[in-house]
Amino acid sequence: MNILLRSWSAYTRATARWPGLAALVPFIPVIALWVAVTESGMFPRAFLPGPVEVVKAFFSLTYRGILPDYLQDSLVRLFTGAALGMAIGIPLGILIGTSKWAHRVSWPILLFFQAIGDIAWLPILLIWFGFGLTTMTFVIVYTVLFPVVLNTVLGVESVPRDLARAARSLGASPARVLWEVTLPGALPNIITGLRNGLGYGWRALIAVEMIVGTSGIGFMMFDARRSGSVVEILLGMIILGLLWYIVDAWILAPIERATGQRWGLVTS
Amino acid sequence: MKTLELRNLKKTYFDPYAGSHVTAVHDVSLEVQQGDFVSVVGPSGCGKTTILNMVAGFIPHSGGEILLNGKAINGPGPERGVVFQSFALFPWKTVLDNVGFGPKMRGVPKAERDRIAHEYLALAGLSHAASRYPNELSGGMQQRVGVVRALANHPEVLLMDEPFASVDAQTRMTLQEELTRIWQERRPTVIFITHDVAEAVFLANRVVVLSKGRVLDQIEVALPRPRVWDDLIEDETFKRLSAQVLHMVRSA
Repeated sequence: MNILLRSWSAYTRATARWPGLAALVPFIPVIALWVAVTESGMFPRAFLPGPVEVVKAFFSLTYRGILPDYLQDSLVRLFTGAALGMAIGIPLGILIGTSKWAHRVSWPILLFFQAIGDIAWLPILLIWFGFGLTTMTFVIVYTVLFPVVLNTVLGVESVPRDLARAARSLGASPARVLWEVTLPGALPNIITGLRNGLGYGWRALIAVEMIVGTSGIGFMMFDARRSGSVVEILLGMIILGLLWYIVDAWILAPIERATGQRWGLVTS
Repeated sequence: MKTLELRNLKKTYFDPYAGSHVTAVHDVSLEVQQGDFVSVVGPSGCGKTTILNMVAGFIPHSGGEILLNGKAINGPGPERGVVFQSFALFPWKTVLDNVGFGPKMRGVPKAERDRIAHEYLALAGLSHAASRYPNELSGGMQQRVGVVRALANHPEVLLMDEPFASVDAQTRMTLQEELTRIWQERRPTVIFITHDVAEAVFLANRVVVLSKGRVLDQIEVALPRPRVWDDLIEDETFKRLSAQVLHMVRSA
């Protein structure tokens, strides 16, 4: 018992010093289980390769330049789509959030189109735009747009009325109220919307790449299926998970800590 | 000299559920001289906050006139500073930037508005908190910031809407004493809305008693200043005036 407690306390201290450790340690049993299953010979190796084969495939594909190229293609598509989605979604959300009239008119329409999720657009997009970048970008923008709009509206509406009133009676014009009060007040929600949007967009992108892609991680995985290369499929899946973790932990979480939590708008 | 004048002020709302008009303020006339301190007291639902919101320009009035230095008001404006019950500090701005917000809106350069903000923070004994964020302060400290933020903008009239209602009783007494001290030093024109009779009498030169959207009576408070709770709590005049106002409010 004593040893357990002491090692727990050592682990707590270690993770406090190296926060990355806390993210890695939980994977040790997962990987151990994976190794155990592959080593037991329950499945043929070609059916379920082990971690070592996947790591080898990673180095081989990286060496041949395929993986970096595909990764870059996917990320550029995601961030282009996300940037466009934000550029449309944030102003739209602010308009709907500040105008009762715009809210009444647009809300049912928004909910209607939100339900026709990303992939459901593919058949008609393929007829309109064919197998290409336009189709892919449309799907990503569409997927990112809704969480950004809906969360921005929520954020704008959650800014206490007294804050705008205070700004007005301190001499702020309506335009300055928007900049000094509405936007910063809605920011934590906008970031939540962005986080959800990127998450959905990432998934949609992989799906679209499988269907219309000629490059990208999704394409790599689907193409590997054709040649029966389970190693590459597994590698693709692991990359999806790792990339999202990096985006979330290194980009989104720090922004959240620097804004909403610092101001006490969000309890950590 | 009259700073603020309300003439036959009236407010009716349309209630879309009942499908009828509701009158919150029937007919209120009031004059406030420059440098005066007027408390408006009354039971909840008497229309006191509605009056303040109309004077601040947050909501339109349905009838009558609101004149500031003889001119009709139009929407909210920096010549009417407001202190809110909810404090309404900007959570994403430091205390210094909150206090400097009014000067910033006037186009005062950064260095000068920081100097102004520091001066007013010192007035409220808050110099040490300048670089902190509102959520790091106690309620009492937040409202001190709220008061000096409004004052730092040099308003013609300071509108205070039950500003001390959400702080604890001991802090409230300290804040009331500090407000009377600051008022004596700077002589702003103040309209102070409250439902607390003792607070109304303690602070003001004149107490306006409101009932069902009408002015019931106005009582002069000729207590000497500076006012301190430890003295006034035993003071016969204070007790008599408080009792008088209390009877009016309760019978209203």
